[in-house]
Amino acid sequence: MQKIRFRIKRFNPAKDRRPHFEDFTVEAEPETPVLDCLHEIKWHQDGTLAFRRSCGHAICGSCAMTINGQNRLACQTLVKNVGKNIIVEPLRSFPLEKDLIVNLDRFYERFYSIMPYFVNNSPPPDTERIQWPEDQELIDEAASCILCASCTSSCPSFWADDDYIGPSALLKAYRFIFDTRDQAQKERLALINTSKGPWKCHTIFNCNEACPKDIDITNAIARLKLKLNDL
Amino acid sequence: MVSWALHRLSGLALVAYLCLHIFVIHNLAYGPERFDRVMELLGSPAFKLMEIGLLGVILYHAFNGLRVIIIDFWGGTKIQKQLFWIMMVIAAALFVAGAAPIAGHLLNALAH
Ligand code: SF4
Ligand code: FES
Repeated sequence: MQKIRFRIKRFNPAKDRRPHFEDFTVEAEPETPVLDCLHEIKWHQDGTLAFRRSCGHAICGSCAMTINGQNRLACQTLVKNVGKNIIVEPLRSFPLEKDLIVNLDRFYERFYSIMPYFVNNSPPPDTERIQWPEDQELIDEAASCILCASCTSSCPSFWADDDYIGPSALLKAYRFIFDTRDQAQKERLALINTSKGPWKCHTIFNCNEACPKDIDITNAIARLKLKLNDL
Repeated sequence: MVSWALHRLSGLALVAYLCLHIFVIHNLAYGPERFDRVMELLGSPAFKLMEIGLLGVILYHAFNGLRVIIIDFWGGTKIQKQLFWIMMVIAAALFVAGAAPIAGHLLNALAH
């Protein structure tokens, strides 16, 4: 057990005019997830601390926050990954609700704007719709996105213009546009072929660095640009 | 992100240089004497030093730009950091090759 110092950005919309930092100390093992430390604080030190979490196993995407300057999942990040002085802040560029909770309406608006669902109007076969392994490989990585918003929140193009569809929603567009079973490729390409689409990506790589699932998002966006070029 | 931020800054510097360049060239319209006077000013050590800086800015912008083009058209996102350093090594070699003669002139001018 060692003492870990936490510096957490707090904001209570009922009282505070702007966010401020508060310090906490937690006893933890090197292998303790940051999320458990936040629980320790909330359950035993300050019950008013607000943050999102659900699964605790890096699969729901709720607990994304900025830990020591980098967007990460609190449940996946261990104390030993980030050191003994840990600064926790809410995700950048989304409106702040309370403490570590941000408003993700904008994020989901972008997500829904690209038709994030499978379209195939041919009658379904008796079993699943068959796909070759090579074809599946194209979208395997993209399909493992957990919608945590870490990438979009880390993107300077999104900081400058939150009308930008953003890396996460573009990755989702890629996931369906490159799905050989999907039939709405044209509609989706038309939806993203605007000044707010892949053209706003300047190959900065912040999304790739932020993604807790190590998805090569920048590559997906580059493939979308090429696809749009071929139209 | 640092490579991108430097790319933006070097781009701005190049725009500023372009304005200066057009301004210098526009002196041609006022006849050879005035142009010669401006050119003399540009031959001064301070401008030589700035020329070396300009070379560096151009090389950075060009080679990082090449890296982005490669990534956009052919891929390489997984090795983007290595690509960056490969490009910077090439740019640095060209920088030394280009800056050496200018620095030579500069030292010559200072010696006299
Ligand atoms: S691509 Fe990665 S960082 Fe972006 S929302 Fe999906 S899992 Fe999160
Ligand atoms: S709590 Fe579900 S991803 Fe962290």
